[in-house]
Amino acid sequence: MRRAFWLPVVFVTLVAVSHAQAADAPHVKGLWLTTDYPSLAAQAGQPTTLQLKLQNYGLPPERVALSVADVPAGWKAAILGNGLPVTAAMPATNDNVPLTLRIDVPANAGPGTDELVLHARGAGASATLPIDITIGQNLPPQLSIKTDLPSLRGTPTTSFKYTFHVQNDSDKDATVKLVADAPPGFQTSFTESYGTQQLSSIPIAAGKSKDLQVQVQPPDNIKAGDYPVTVHASADGAAASTRLEMQITGQPKLSLSGQGGRLSASAEAGKATAISLVVRNDGSAPAQDIHFSGSPPSDWKVDFKPDSIPALVPNQKATVQALLTPSDKALAGDYMTTFDADGKGAATSADFRITVETSTLWGVIGIAVIAIALLIAVGAVARFGRR
Amino acid sequence: MARRSGSPFIGFGAVFVKELADHLGSSRMFVLEWLVLLTGIGAVYTAISDLKTTTASDPFVFLRLFTHARDPLPSFIAVLAFLVPLMAIGLGFDAINSEFNRRTMSRILAQPIYRDALLLGKFLAGLATLAIALVMLWLLVVGFGLITLGVPPSGAEVSRGIGFLVVALFYGGLWLTVAILCSVLFRSAATSALVALGLWLLATVLWPLIVQFAANAIYPPNAVTLLLGGGPSLGQVELQQTLSRVSPSTLFDESVLALLHPATRALGPVFMSQLEGSVMGAPLPFGQSLLLIWPQATGLVAGTIIVFVFAYIAFQRQEVRA
Repeated sequence: MRRAFWLPVVFVTLVAVSHAQAADAPHVKGLWLTTDYPSLAAQAGQPTTLQLKLQNYGLPPERVALSVADVPAGWKAAILGNGLPVTAAMPATNDNVPLTLRIDVPANAGPGTDELVLHARGAGASATLPIDITIGQNLPPQLSIKTDLPSLRGTPTTSFKYTFHVQNDSDKDATVKLVADAPPGFQTSFTESYGTQQLSSIPIAAGKSKDLQVQVQPPDNIKAGDYPVTVHASADGAAASTRLEMQITGQPKLSLSGQGGRLSASAEAGKATAISLVVRNDGSAPAQDIHFSGSPPSDWKVDFKPDSIPALVPNQKATVQALLTPSDKALAGDYMTTFDADGKGAATSADFRITVETSTLWGVIGIAVIAIALLIAVGAVARFGRR
Repeated sequence: MARRSGSPFIGFGAVFVKELADHLGSSRMFVLEWLVLLTGIGAVYTAISDLKTTTASDPFVFLRLFTHARDPLPSFIAVLAFLVPLMAIGLGFDAINSEFNRRTMSRILAQPIYRDALLLGKFLAGLATLAIALVMLWLLVVGFGLITLGVPPSGAEVSRGIGFLVVALFYGGLWLTVAILCSVLFRSAATSALVALGLWLLATVLWPLIVQFAANAIYPPNAVTLLLGGGPSLGQVELQQTLSRVSPSTLFDESVLALLHPATRALGPVFMSQLEGSVMGAPLPFGQSLLLIWPQATGLVAGTIIVFVFAYIAFQRQEVRA
């Protein structure tokens, strides 16, 4: 019941819509040849294309002949439909046919403005479209680089990442070559921002820009200071560069080992043995207030002489004596002991293999026992011998 | 008794050479050597067939030749620990009393030879015979290993092997002096052999049982420890070990363990605190292993000398009649 009540309402609405569309139909009537840009600039020696439309308003479909007039000498002009040269088109009523005008300008064409006229002639209607083509108003090639964060700060182990935009301001596509000028020993690589592929050059369309990234890795042993990096972008005839700053703050880096890089030593059970340790600062800033400690097995003792060093400048080494006393109950054989060096902002440790040797006292006692036995034998010979 | 002058060892050389020749030619020695050789080769052969697979991974593969055992055969050192005392007793049990029984003692002593030289010559000839047999056996094992394993022994392995040889020689020497002492004390060769073998059985088989019993009696296990599944107390373990070291076979076993297993770091009870931070399984240098067994080796050497002195005094005080 309810559905039957609604049906006439839907019908009335549909009729109203179709009436509205009929009312929107243009009141003009005839044939038109149109384009968005009737006056344009072209380059000598290069083909130029222009999108056209053949519009039919209110006429019955008919064959329309197409032609180009006033073509300057040496130029070539052709009308293409759907990619093929055409000489006639047939637009339906209230519809259009897309067309393309292709103009080949010879390389020797002089500067100036020429006018071409397009004609479309049907049986009952015709249309003309004049087009102005200007030669010789080329833009010079131009590149520009912009960067958001031109100065970064970090430690020698930081990887500095600068994001920048390269803009191709010319009217031609260009392949832009990228070069970074960094101090010796610095490693640079270009990537697209959010890309991982390393680039040496990148194509940029006319008028477009690309977001790129340069990553600079300073050498580990670099001294603290400011270092410039210049990024050059060049295409044929155009170049741009920007200067980036790296502010490298120093970092101490300690390493600990035995004399000559040894990580082993031997010690006698229950006796203090001096082990020479060499602490080096391989970093780029002085290490302050280095303290030494050891974590030997329990009942072992370790002392350091000196037990701290006030400062150690980069690429310098200092020698420390570790006095290690294995427990007098330690077994003969190998034990692991860790020595630590703790500076402000840097710490290191070295695992030493300590070969514990037991006292040779027992050896002496053993020899004494055998000697006593031999003495008894000699005494027996003296007392009872030569019989 | 008038005190005589001159070196007590005049004629030692003659006695030594004669005794050595007698030993090496005797059928008793022949049987003993073949016994040792066959069992030794059997043990080494099974060891080699197992060791061929681990030649590359084991730094002490030659020492494994001596210690590796596969059921049902015992290892080479177990064979030696059993047969070396037997060989030594076989060489010494009739050293002196056979001279009496053959009535040759007075004839020998009628020569310009002191009793000192006679006894020392007999002892050292027995020791030399043992040494020849052991060195031959040792070289056979090493040569067999060289051919079948295809790797040369390292310096540490050779020095440990030689150390083992010396310890085995003095172990044999101790039982040789015990057998000579018996041959001095008992006129009957059978009694002498029986007493010497009885002593050996006591030291090797019965002594460990007696020691265990005694240690258990002196340090009775705590009821609480037993309930908690704990082992024997420290005092019990230490007493048991001290007492068992009276037996030469314990001294020999411990010496061989430390020499042929380079990773051995202690022969007594070890506390956890001593193991903290230690690198397990790392081999000891040869010198440290030697220090570890030095008391045991000293015991064997000094024991040999002392027992020999007893035999010497007993022999010197005996009446020799024509």
